Amino acid sequence: MNDHQFILIIFLAAFIIITAVFFLTYRSSLRPEEKSDGIKKPLQKRFYFLIALTIVLVILLSVTIPKSPYFKYSDQTPAKVVFVDAMQYYFFMSEQAIDPAKPSGADSIIIPVGQPVEFRVTSLDVNHGFGIYNSDAQLVTQTQAMPGYVNRLRWKFDTPGTYHILCLEYCGANHPNMRTSFIVK
Amino acid sequence: MSAQSLKKTTATWIIVIMTLFITAIIFGILMRLNQGNDYKMSSPGFYATMTTHGLTMIAIWSVAGMVAINYLLTRYIKVPNSLSVFALVFTVIGAAMLWYATFVGQFHAGWTFLYPLPLVKIAWAKWATPLFFFSLVVLGVGWLVWSVGLLVQILKKYSLKQAFAWQHLSKKEPEVKTPPLILISTVSLIGIILSLIVAVILLALTFAEYYSGGAFVNDSLLMKNLIYFFGHTIANESLYLGLAALYELMPEVSSRPKFKTTWYVALAWNCTMVFILTAFFHHLYMDFVQPLGLQMVGQLASYFASLPAAGVTAFSVFVLVFRNHIKWSLTNVLFFIGIMGWLIGGVGALIDATISNNVALHNTLWVPAHFHTYNAMGNVLFCLAFFYWVANEFSGSQTKTKAQQLKTALLLIGGFGFVLMFYLAGADSVPRRFSNYPAEFKSAPLMATLGAVFATIYLIAILLIFIEILRKCVKAFSAS
Amino acid sequence: MCKGLFSLLILFLFYTNVQAQSEYNFSEEENINAKIADVQLNTSDGGMMLSNLYNTSPILVALVFSRCTGICSPFLLQLSDNIRTLNSKEKFKVLVVSFDPIDSLSDLEDMDNRLGLNKKGQWTFATTKQIDALNSSVGFRPIWDSLRKQFDHDALLVGINENGYIAKKLTGLRGISDLKMMIQSIHNEFIPSYPLPRKNNLLSCFTYDPATGKRKPSIGLLILVLPVVLTFGLILWLAIRSKKWRRATNNHLAD
Repeated sequence: MNDHQFILIIFLAAFIIITAVFFLTYRSSLRPEEKSDGIKKPLQKRFYFLIALTIVLVILLSVTIPKSPYFKYSDQTPAKVVFVDAMQYYFFMSEQAIDPAKPSGADSIIIPVGQPVEFRVTSLDVNHGFGIYNSDAQLVTQTQAMPGYVNRLRWKFDTPGTYHILCLEYCGANHPNMRTSFIVK
Repeated sequence: MSAQSLKKTTATWIIVIMTLFITAIIFGILMRLNQGNDYKMSSPGFYATMTTHGLTMIAIWSVAGMVAINYLLTRYIKVPNSLSVFALVFTVIGAAMLWYATFVGQFHAGWTFLYPLPLVKIAWAKWATPLFFFSLVVLGVGWLVWSVGLLVQILKKYSLKQAFAWQHLSKKEPEVKTPPLILISTVSLIGIILSLIVAVILLALTFAEYYSGGAFVNDSLLMKNLIYFFGHTIANESLYLGLAALYELMPEVSSRPKFKTTWYVALAWNCTMVFILTAFFHHLYMDFVQPLGLQMVGQLASYFASLPAAGVTAFSVFVLVFRNHIKWSLTNVLFFIGIMGWLIGGVGALIDATISNNVALHNTLWVPAHFHTYNAMGNVLFCLAFFYWVANEFSGSQTKTKAQQLKTALLLIGGFGFVLMFYLAGADSVPRRFSNYPAEFKSAPLMATLGAVFATIYLIAILLIFIEILRKCVKAFSAS
Repeated sequence: MCKGLFSLLILFLFYTNVQAQSEYNFSEEENINAKIADVQLNTSDGGMMLSNLYNTSPILVALVFSRCTGICSPFLLQLSDNIRTLNSKEKFKVLVVSFDPIDSLSDLEDMDNRLGLNKKGQWTFATTKQIDALNSSVGFRPIWDSLRKQFDHDALLVGINENGYIAKKLTGLRGISDLKMMIQSIHNEFIPSYPLPRKNNLLSCFTYDPATGKRKPSIGLLILVLPVVLTFGLILWLAIRSKKWRRATNNHLAD
């Protein structure tokens, strides 16, 4: 099961639980007036509910924060550095630094399989997104391309194949067609 | 102020808001049909529609909450009708300017108008850029005057401490009791004022660059922070205004004891005011340049903003309804479903506000999925509940709704079906804001078509409710 | 008044920001993560390979020539000042290589004595016969100007990690904060993002703080905090003013 499927299952489970609770609560309100006995000690129950919710949130925080993408593979030397300059509606990718005055990219980029690589992503005009999709059209990882800044995205590709890059920040009318690809082998 | 003029202004607001709402839903359906290859729009046309749809929705549902509290606050304080009329005029002019900029000028930088997109290499009429930004100025001025005015009226009766209900934190039965409506309105109005001040700074920097002819250039990171500080905060606060109406009306229409301000209600809403200041950082998770500390604060604030909301408001509604005899009318049904939609959208939001998930979900359809859930199935329903209740006030009787079960069923099926298509596509990595989908996203067009079908069902429910509200609203003008 | 203030603001911003965003100096990005040419160096300790230097600790390589009447001396002086001020605990060496073929080791030693650079033994001065290989491996392109009898060149500092890879480059005279980032980079410390060199940094939210190695708030962040300050100011002002209003309302009711 990949990350996306896991997220969807968690969400659908929450969706069903919440709907069920609301439906049962609604059902319980259809009783005759004289039988309205409500909840006993609601304040105390609310207190326990809040405590339980806090504990769940703290656990979730401590589990998920260390998995943040910023420092992935930060202790390793990348086998390859790829420079990316995004521009309406192209991605220039090159293993050499790209001259912003006359940007151009390599015809094809080949990434070694199973080794850490680094993308140095920036933009020459507006904000763009740099979303890496695998051959099954699943989003693998991403960063933003912001003018004036370089974002360094490190990743290790374990599956060979063609990967597509899609722009993931709305950048103008031709945004859906802004794409490129590279090969992992 | 006469009660009659308040009724007339409120009725006018409701008609304006609902008309814009129905039009904006149709825009949404057209966009989904375009994505499903069932209808053909030009690419700039799609994005101009998207810009209009987004900003119109944000605008009308912020003011809808304002209309609700403006009406309900008159139970506790004096509210001059001129404030609401002023905002109405400015909102209508602002919306007209906005629509002209997008549909005639083809301005299509998205409702977030993410810097520097509206300023560089523009692909629309040159005049449309300043017109768009001036439409924001007009809208902003109207709302700023209204929200500051309402706050002033609250402070004419309650001291700031009382408006924040601080006396409830130390005493169980304080001398002056703050009604929840006053507390939540104060907190939300301050949030709205804050977001509008952010907008002032944002617009000043934008105009400075626009009119300096390229001599002055802004910093992209700062502008992005400002844009989401404004956008996130105003969207979030408008939902709280809807909740204020719920606190006031839900027990009343359900014939249950009124909600009271207690120490935990006071604490919860005071905390909310603080959390809201930093939650917007979660929009910048994928900007690695944002310092790590702020990213962590973003996740922390997003998580704990849910505690007061879910722990206090949703739980209160649960206590109100559970095992109690409730006479269900469309008003409390809408409030009840609204809370459910708000919680479900909240779970979707919480998942996306987790940095390690955000890398898989950021700018996929998951994002519109969650915010449509707590808008279309949350805030909209809170405001509709108020509209329906107030329309009954106008007509002088809280009559039984016609075909209430049918309306509720259409709303539930249409609304949740519509957002579910977004969730499924988002979890399948389909990007948001794509006018057409590349071939590799095989199921995306089908999801879009189904989304449009469900949205149409939702639209039918909204139309049926609107017709009923409209018929009663008209009486506000005829009755003397 | 508003209009006057606005034009003042524009004027102020006009004089502080005059560069479009895309016009950054990209040469700093060139040859990043490439290996520096392992050339034979001629130093006062005799001959050695450049790899002998970086294998013991990361190095900063400065390329200069002794006859330079331009940027070389201020560049080296500023570098030594910055290193002293920064007082980093991290271990690294500074290698100054002449790119002028007619420079001899004694010319460089004179330069050192004149500028007083190598007081702690951290600096090494060297000439090399393979200067072209070294230059091209770091993307350095000096041009001989026969009229002025000078090289036309930019100041360049290259950071090399212990494996001989170029971790970061700095062109021109740069501040202490950039040097700190450079030293972190040659010790393979990962910095997930950095601003590109451009003049327009006035409104940026953060600048790098050399004392702590963290980014510290700058004007941009103040702008971000400003709405909060303004809102709270407004609310406080209203709260104070409202005392009067409430008194008036109460009096009115009493009447």
